[in-house]
Amino acid sequence: MTSTDALILQLSSGLPPVKRRRVSRDAAALLALGAVELALVVLTAGLRPDMGRVIGAPFMIWKIGSLGVLAGLCCAVAIRSFAPPTSRARNLKIVLGLAVLAIVASLTVTPPVDLARPLMERLAPAHGLICAGAIVALSLPLMVMLGVLMRRAAPVSPRRSALASGLAAATTGALIFTVRCPMNDPLYIVTWYTLGVAIVSATARWLLPRRFRL
Amino acid sequence: MRLRSISTVINAPASPPFMAGDATGAGDAWGQLMAAGQDGHGGAYHRLLGELSVWLHRYFARRLPSGDVDDAVQETLFAVHRRRHTYDPRQPFGPWLAAIAKHKWIDQLRSLGRRPQEELPDDMTVACHEAAVTSASVLASLLDELRPAQARVILLVKVQGYGIDDAARATGLSPSAVKMNIHRGLARLATLVENHDDLD
Repeated sequence: MTSTDALILQLSSGLPPVKRRRVSRDAAALLALGAVELALVVLTAGLRPDMGRVIGAPFMIWKIGSLGVLAGLCCAVAIRSFAPPTSRARNLKIVLGLAVLAIVASLTVTPPVDLARPLMERLAPAHGLICAGAIVALSLPLMVMLGVLMRRAAPVSPRRSALASGLAAATTGALIFTVRCPMNDPLYIVTWYTLGVAIVSATARWLLPRRFRL
Repeated sequence: MRLRSISTVINAPASPPFMAGDATGAGDAWGQLMAAGQDGHGGAYHRLLGELSVWLHRYFARRLPSGDVDDAVQETLFAVHRRRHTYDPRQPFGPWLAAIAKHKWIDQLRSLGRRPQEELPDDMTVACHEAAVTSASVLASLLDELRPAQARVILLVKVQGYGIDDAARATGLSPSAVKMNIHRGLARLATLVENHDDLD
C-alpha cells in the first residue's frame, strides 16, 4: 500500500456528513450584519438632519446609487470567489471600472455652488478624515465576517478573494455611512470615501490571506 | 500572442481530463460520488479519492519535477477533503477540482523556490533524469516565459536534478546567483500561473 493509498483510506474511514456551503446563507449573514450596523448608526447618531429634503437631489441619488451598486457587486464577487471555480480577475476589473465610471459621473451632479468654492474648502480635510475613519470603523466588522466566511470556504485565489472582501466591506460601510454623512460635494465624497475604501481594502488584502492553507 | 501561448500550456490537459463523467453536470460521476461523500458515504468517497489520485498524478506529473508529484497529489487530496463542503452537487465537479489542483500547483511552485537545494544521491540513474525531464513537460514549456538565465538554472536543478555547483559550472554563474535565479524564477512562474484564469 502506497502512502497515498493509506491517506485515502484514512480520509474515507469514519467519514462524517458535512453541511454544504450555500452562497445564499453567506449573503444573508452579510446582509443581516449590514442591517444591524445601519440600525445602530440611525439609533445612535441619527440620519443627517436634512435627509428628507436632499434624498431626491441628483448628488444624493448619485452617492447612494453608485455606492449601492458597487457594494452589491463587490459582495457578490467576494462571496462567489470563496469557492471554486469562480475567482476571476475579470470580476475585480469590472468592479474597478464601475468605480471609475461612478467617479466620472460625479462631475455631472456637482452643484454649481460647490464648483465656485476654493479647493481646500471643498475638500474640508479635517472633516474628511473623520468621514474616512467612520467608513473604516463601519467596514471592519463586515471585513471580519467576510474573512471568516472566506477561510471557512475554499478560495482558490486567496489574495484575490481578500481584496474582493475588503472592497465589499468598505463599499458597504461607506453605503451605510451615507445616511449620516452631511456632506454633499461629490469631490469631497470621491476623495475621502475613496481613502476609507482604500485603507480597508489594503488591510483586507494584507490580513485575510495570512497563514491560510486550502 | 504571448498570453495565448501561456494559456495553451497552462490548460494542457492531463488526458483524459475527467475519466468519470463529462464534467459538465449531467453524467458527472465524480460529482455524484462527492455528493455521496458529503452525506457521509465512506465507500463512495474512497472510490472518488482513488480515482482522483490517478488523475491528479497525471496532472502534476506534467507540471512539477517528478520528486514533487506525490506531495502535490496528497496535498490536493487533503484540500479536497477539508473543503468538500464547498462543492455544490448542482455544478460540474471538474472545474471545482481543477481550480483546487491549480492552487496546489502554484503552492508547490512557490515551495520549490523556498526549499534549500538538495544534492542528488550518487546512485541517481540517467533514466531518472530523463523521466523527470519528460514528466514535467508543462513546467518545461512554461520556462520559456522566464528570463533565459532563470529558465536554464530551474531546468538544470529543479527538473533535471543537477546540484547547485554543477549548474553554476554549466551556466558560468556563481552558486548564489543560481539560487537567486531559481527563487525569483519560480516565484515569477507561480504568479504567471496564478494570474491566468483560463483553467478555472
